[in-house]
This record gives sequence, structure tokens and C-alpha cells, in this order.
Amino acid sequence: MHASSRPQHAFTEPPLPEQGGQSGYENGPVTKVPGWHGIIAWDALLNGMAMGLFLAAAVSELAAPSVFIRVAKVAYPVALVLLLVDLGLLVLDLGDPLRFHHMLRVFKPSSPMSLGTWCLTIFSLPLTAAAALSLLAELGWDFEWARLLAVVVGLLPGFGSAAYKGVLLSTNAQPGWKDARWLGGYLTNSALLMGCAELLVLSALMGQTQATAILRTAFIVLLVLNVIPLVLLFANLQPTHARLYTREQQWRVGVLIAAGTLISLGLMLLNDGLLFILVALIVLLSQSWLIRSVYVKIPHTSPLEVRSGE
Amino acid sequence: MASREQELSALPQTSDPPRGRLSVLLGRLIHPYLHGEQRGPVPELMGRLIYPFLRGEAPKPQQATGFYTDTTVCIGCKACEVACKQWNQLPSDGFNWSGNSYDNTNELSATTWRHVKFIEQFSHESSSTPASPDMVSDESPLNRWLMMSDHCKHCVAAPCHQACPTGAIIQNEFENIYIQADICNGCSCCIAACPFGVITRSEMGGHSHKCTLCYDRQRDGLEPACAKACPTQSIHFGPVDELREQARRRVEQLHERGVPQAYLYGDVPSETYSEMHSFYLLVDRPSVYGRPDAPFNPWLHMMGDYVRSVAGGLAAIAALLVVVFLLRP
Repeated sequence: MHASSRPQHAFTEPPLPEQGGQSGYENGPVTKVPGWHGIIAWDALLNGMAMGLFLAAAVSELAAPSVFIRVAKVAYPVALVLLLVDLGLLVLDLGDPLRFHHMLRVFKPSSPMSLGTWCLTIFSLPLTAAAALSLLAELGWDFEWARLLAVVVGLLPGFGSAAYKGVLLSTNAQPGWKDARWLGGYLTNSALLMGCAELLVLSALMGQTQATAILRTAFIVLLVLNVIPLVLLFANLQPTHARLYTREQQWRVGVLIAAGTLISLGLMLLNDGLLFILVALIVLLSQSWLIRSVYVKIPHTSPLEVRSGE
Repeated sequence: MASREQELSALPQTSDPPRGRLSVLLGRLIHPYLHGEQRGPVPELMGRLIYPFLRGEAPKPQQATGFYTDTTVCIGCKACEVACKQWNQLPSDGFNWSGNSYDNTNELSATTWRHVKFIEQFSHESSSTPASPDMVSDESPLNRWLMMSDHCKHCVAAPCHQACPTGAIIQNEFENIYIQADICNGCSCCIAACPFGVITRSEMGGHSHKCTLCYDRQRDGLEPACAKACPTQSIHFGPVDELREQARRRVEQLHERGVPQAYLYGDVPSETYSEMHSFYLLVDRPSVYGRPDAPFNPWLHMMGDYVRSVAGGLAAIAALLVVVFLLRP
């Protein structure tokens, strides 16, 4: 009926006292670590990329249709592809992927996962409609009012789909994660930043000079703005990181993260060429993935004192 | 014990609840799947898709039941562990030496719903397990064994219950926290949420499992297997109100008998955590027994986290809009 994670009847030699087997329970971990590994770091990245691209495109298009309509029509199908890959990862991460639809048998606002699943499900409908109508418009069947309606309808569930992820990963009992009060603030802000960068690359690729100029400035502003929740998040995590990593390791990761922001910022200030924009996006995505990976690893990492005793 | 079982047998029995009109209709659609009849891929697919959405009427609420574990009389015989494994048909965890006293079970898991802990406190190593001055009197020699049979706490406001997105985790009619194994899809939210490290995911089915407080036995008017097997009555089962009274009397008795450090863990709510329907009598700090000194319900932070999350997104949208409005032609 149930499986055991340990080998059956595996006889092992008892450790001698001088080998120092664990004594008592006081310094051991109390909570159990969920099997959320690298796949969740990629999920958090793709979630931000998909929702951010949709939101950035929708907000820009609704604010200045004449400038952004062409790039937005390309952005929605790209966002849909990113969302589908993300949903695939979410299903794969389940213990029983064939039961993924069980998520929809109840709506529980007390569960960030439930709220997120419903937001993603609802959001997928207007996003699919917006993407399909954008592609149809390119083929000559233009239903502009319907496409705009789909974009507007998708705004709220799209925002919810971006906002739930951080709350899910901070509303729990895991060491470190339970203290990350600004994770949600950072992830939602970062989603918009990544979305703006993706939209900027698309507009540069399409030769939309006006849109590129506006988005380049927006990207610079959002990069600077994103530093605030990022610093607040790492301030939340500092006591945990001090417990898990040496000062040198912390500095190394800190420098890499700071470099991600500074390099992207420098490239944008230096030049508005396609190559510079492309490299800035790659650097930003790498930094965003690193931050998510470092975060996801926290409960899987043993404290320094345990590692030094091994 | 026998009288307790008779008492429990007098509780109204529940049977499979009647289904609502929509559920009856859906049930007809997937009749072969529900009744294990020979089926092809289409009925199988239909069954898998529709089954989780069937609804039944909730059983009538019963008196809340739970456990009170008096650790001072536990002798570490592990009869409760064995009884739990036997009754629930849980597989062996293998035979491994942990090096941690006589505890070779190590921890609670999807296949171990009861776990007897052994804590050796002897004077030559007392410095490594110091006791709090307000809990252990100066005269108290630390030459002792502490033993505790651990299991799910069946918290009244259980974080695992709040976290579960599928509704697989319910509070049943006895106000116990119960995982419906046929509904759980192994998302692991409950594992992340539990501050006591009770739940894990089985590697075979990929679903979460933990102590059911012998829901099946309770429905048949029987006491849980562990309580039935306990030879020293360290594990008490019954209506929670009665257990609390019993436990408080026991604490008073221990105080009178020169054990002033005896206290109850989880019998009343704290500022950061609800009461538990499974509570303990302890004689040292909770962390000595491997549990949080001050358990915290993560949901106390949830609204604030949502506010910060939304604020982070709105700030970015506002910045984007300002730039677009300022620079558009």
C-alpha cells in the first residue's frame, strides 16, 4: 500500500560512540523539506516571464495603443508558450501528475496554491484568446474588439498568477522561507521587470523604434526600482544565509546578483542597439534564476556547523 | 480500556454518506470505474477525471477526540509503533542503526505514523543538554531517560489543512486532521506547512500520509491501535475536554510529588498557534523533544505577504505607466 523510502531489511553496522552518531533531537531539523528542487526555481522564473510579458504588453498597449499594438500582438503568443511550459513543470512536480486536475475540485483562498491554480486556469483562457486573435489578425481576420476584451479580462487573473507565487513560497514553516516577508514583493516586481525586458527585445527585433525607446527607459527605471524589494528580501534572509553559508560564499553570491543588475543597467545606459538589449535580457534572466535557485535551496542546505562536523 | 471501548461504541455510527443529486448523476456516468467493473480506456479516463468532483454529505459532527500523551510513564517499548504499522498496514522502514540511543526509527514519515523518541540525559553529558532553570529544579539530577511517543498533533487550526489546495486534507467529524488518500495529488504544500515535520510524501504513490487517529477504528467505535496497545497508559485517547482535565490533574499530581517541571504542551492555544487535539505532558523544554519551543502558524503572515506582493507589482506597473505616458508621442 505504501512505499518506504529506505531499503527493506538493510542491515548496517552500528556507529561506534566515537564516530558520534546523532544524540538527542535538540539540534536536529524539526520540519520536513518538501520535494521542491530546481524545477521550482525554473517554475518561478517562467511564471514571472510569462505573466510579466503579458502584463507589460497589456499595460503598454492599453496606455499607448498606436505605439505598442504591433509588439503586443507578438508578445501574447510568446507569453502563452511560456505559460504552457510553466504549467507543464508544475504538473511534473506533483507526486501524482495524473491527479493535477484535483487542484480544481475546491477553491480555498487560505491556500496560496489553490488561489494560484485558479488564477492560472482562469488566466489561461483570455491569454489563449488574446494570443489566437493576435495571430488571426496577422492572417487578415481582425477581431480587434474581442482581442482587446481578452487582454482586459486577463489583467486581473494575470496579476494574481504573478502575485501568488511569492506568498506560496513564504507562507510555510520551512527555515528561512518562513522569514522571507518580501519574497512576494520581489517576485511580482521582478515579473514586471522581466516582462518589460522581454517586450523590449521583441520591439527591438521588430524594429519598433518608438516602442523600443520608451521600453528602454522603462526598463532602466524598473531595474532601479527592483533593487528595493531585492534588498529587503535579502535583509529578511540574512540571518538564514549566515547560518548556512560562510561570509565568503555570501559575498560571492551577493556580488553575482549585484553584477546582474549593474551590467544590465550599464548596457542599457551605454547603447540602445539590439545586441546590447539582448545581452541585458540574458544577464537579467540569469540573475533572476540565480536568486530563485538560492532561495529554493535554503531548506535543502544543512547549517554550517552540521557541515563542518561531517 | 474495555469500558472506554464500550463508551466509544455508544457514539452514533457514521456510514458512507449519501450523495447529492449532481454527484448521483456524475456517479452514474462513471459507474464502471466506481465499482471496479471491467473497463476500457474511455471509462477509465472519465472515471479519473470525474471521480474527484463527486460530493457526499458531510457526516454529522461528533465530540472532538484526541490523544493525551503522558511522557513520564512511557517506557519506550514501541508497542504503539508496531500497533500503528500493523493496523494501518504500513511497510517496514528497514533495519538501520541510527546511533541515536535506542531510536532506530529516526522520524515520522509517510510509512511511520508513530515514532518513539529516546532522550538520554546523564550527568556526564548534562552540559550538552542543559535544562532551563525555571523548568528543572536545582536538586533534580539529570540522570534520566526521557521517552516520548510522537505523532501528528491534529492541530485545531492546522497549517497543513490550510495549505492543502485539493481539499484532500479535511477536519473530520471527530475534529481530527485526516488526509483523503484518494484525493491527494502530492503537491507537498502540507509538508512545507507543518511546523512539526509530521507529513512526508510516499515514494510509491506520490501522495502524503500521516496519522489518521485511526479514523476507521473510531467510526467503528474502537480506540486507536496505538492507545489500545500502550501497556503503561502513556497514550490516552478520548474526548479532548476530558483528556485536558485528566492531564491537568496529572500535572498537579506530579508537582505535588516533586516533579515541578511537568507541564502540558499544546493543550491550550498560544498567541501564535492553536491548541492541538493531541497534546503532551513534558518535563523538559519542547526543543529537547525535537519540537518547536514556540510553534508558529505561518498563516499569520499570509495577508501581509499578499499585500507586499501586490504592492511590488503595482509599483512596477505604475512606474511603467508613468514612463509610457511621459514618453509617448
